[in-house]
Amino acid sequence: MDSLVVSNIRQRPLRSAISVAGVALGVTLVMMFTGLARGLSNELQHRSSNVRAEIIFTRPGSIELTSTATNLSTKYVELLKKIDGVADATPVILHFYQDNSGFGFEQLEGVNWNEFAAMNGISLVEGRAPQALDEAVVDETKAKKKHPVGSTLKLLGDKPYRVVGIFRPESGSRVKLTLESMQNALEASDKCTYILVKCKNPADQIAVAKRIDAELPGNKVQFTSDVFTSIEKTVPSLQIFLRVLVVLAAVVSALVVMLAMYTTITERTREIGILKAMGASRGYIVGEIEREALVISAMGLIVGFVFAIGAGALIQRTYGLFFEFGGLWALTAGAIGLAGGAVGALYPAMRAANLDPVEALLHE
Amino acid sequence: MRALVKAENLEKVYRVGKVDVPALRGVSLEVEEGELLAVMGPSGCGKSTMLHLMGGLLTPTSGRIVIDGEDLTAASDAKRTDIRRRKIGFVFQRFNLFPTLTAEGNLRLAERIHHNGADDPDRRREILRLLRLEDKMHHKPLELSGGEQQRVALARAVVTRPAIVLADEPTGNLDSENSAIVLKMFQELNYRFNQTIVMITHNPEAASVCRRIIQMRDGVIVEPHVGA
Repeated sequence: MDSLVVSNIRQRPLRSAISVAGVALGVTLVMMFTGLARGLSNELQHRSSNVRAEIIFTRPGSIELTSTATNLSTKYVELLKKIDGVADATPVILHFYQDNSGFGFEQLEGVNWNEFAAMNGISLVEGRAPQALDEAVVDETKAKKKHPVGSTLKLLGDKPYRVVGIFRPESGSRVKLTLESMQNALEASDKCTYILVKCKNPADQIAVAKRIDAELPGNKVQFTSDVFTSIEKTVPSLQIFLRVLVVLAAVVSALVVMLAMYTTITERTREIGILKAMGASRGYIVGEIEREALVISAMGLIVGFVFAIGAGALIQRTYGLFFEFGGLWALTAGAIGLAGGAVGALYPAMRAANLDPVEALLHE
Repeated sequence: MRALVKAENLEKVYRVGKVDVPALRGVSLEVEEGELLAVMGPSGCGKSTMLHLMGGLLTPTSGRIVIDGEDLTAASDAKRTDIRRRKIGFVFQRFNLFPTLTAEGNLRLAERIHHNGADDPDRRREILRLLRLEDKMHHKPLELSGGEQQRVALARAVVTRPAIVLADEPTGNLDSENSAIVLKMFQELNYRFNQTIVMITHNPEAASVCRRIIQMRDGVIVEPHVGA
């Protein structure tokens, strides 16, 4: 195509490539961070939704985002079972440990397997339940990452635990030990982090929670849907972070395109003088430069999308982090790339349009 | 014959730092339709300034200039640009072609600017044929000789049927052979299409193809006018 816009981009391939990369960077940042936040959030919610107990009974402050306390006595289990409306109660120890995959830490649960599995509708698809202190079961996702039945996991300070079973569906943590095993490891005998409470009638959970609170005061009674919630609710500043990121990405794209277009205008001062001598209006000149910027931005969008999807897939396969790219965020990233490019080119375009034609024609 | 260009007492003063430099000191001139006019004079006599005023690239300090019935003097920048787009074609000493476009692409660009996007391939081919550039249409400027580049520049200037072509030293960067070819093209356009052309030049051979020659010195037209 014998077009001034296309031919100018092709004539300066390195600068065009750098400009495209600048826009692509902004798009990639938005796509990957929002994809990661969505992926992790949805993955956590998916696992949390398979916890069928309606109520969590715990001590205040026991459960934080990356830490837990094992300070609740297991004697409350029997007390809870006696409360009107409670179908069953089972203790759980929740612990975070360092891992080489994902964000560098993982969850670990210690449970009485039979009660826990019956309450939450979990079954073993391979192997058997953990019995010994050095045995563990894993979910299917964990098993696929080189942790089949018979393999060894290093947990709780590099202690070896043998994988004896694989469970389904994914529910809570991906690795579960016996409650006794966790109590031993954490030196917290007769203790747990929280007790899961199953109601006889889920519709009565609010009334049951009130009864628990009345009969066992001084503890924390919450609904599992509130506790095991999305990352966005757990980390409210995440949305702010994502919005700041979006703005930064737009600024990066705009600055890169502005710099590229400014340099282009300086090099092509005489060409702009020729356009003016030919009768090109200010609007025409601004339009040509904006068109060039938009073509570069569009190319940057495509590169950014491709790179984000490819990098996301690679990171997911290598480190186990979940990415989920949403349509709305993709549109946002696209709009940012294009708007950033258009806005970035505006100042150089206006400058070019206001050049004195005689001076521009004399420019070397 | 009607006057396409009417300049009345044109003055142009440049402000250089704190000093006022007069480039034109009251120039009055009429160029008739279909005329091939040469403006000669030493460097700094005001030839280029007068050409730029005619083309609406500059505004006079005082005086009046009318191009094909449209007054440039008091016109806004947008209006002057509009008049220039519709009525004026430029040919420069340094050709000033767009290096990233082919010969045809340069002409198409002129059409796009003139017609707000419209395309006239027949007119383009007619001009390129007249200027013997048919087989050079798909060549970029760097692939053309100096004479060929100047002919492409001339084609670009006339493809939109301007009322007047303003040529600033069109043979200044050409050898004698190419100069002769380009000058012949100017004559052809003037003869066959009655194209009005004002050419500023140092070259007596260039001036000799023109029907009228004006001499300038120190910002004024020196009497008498010399007819070709």
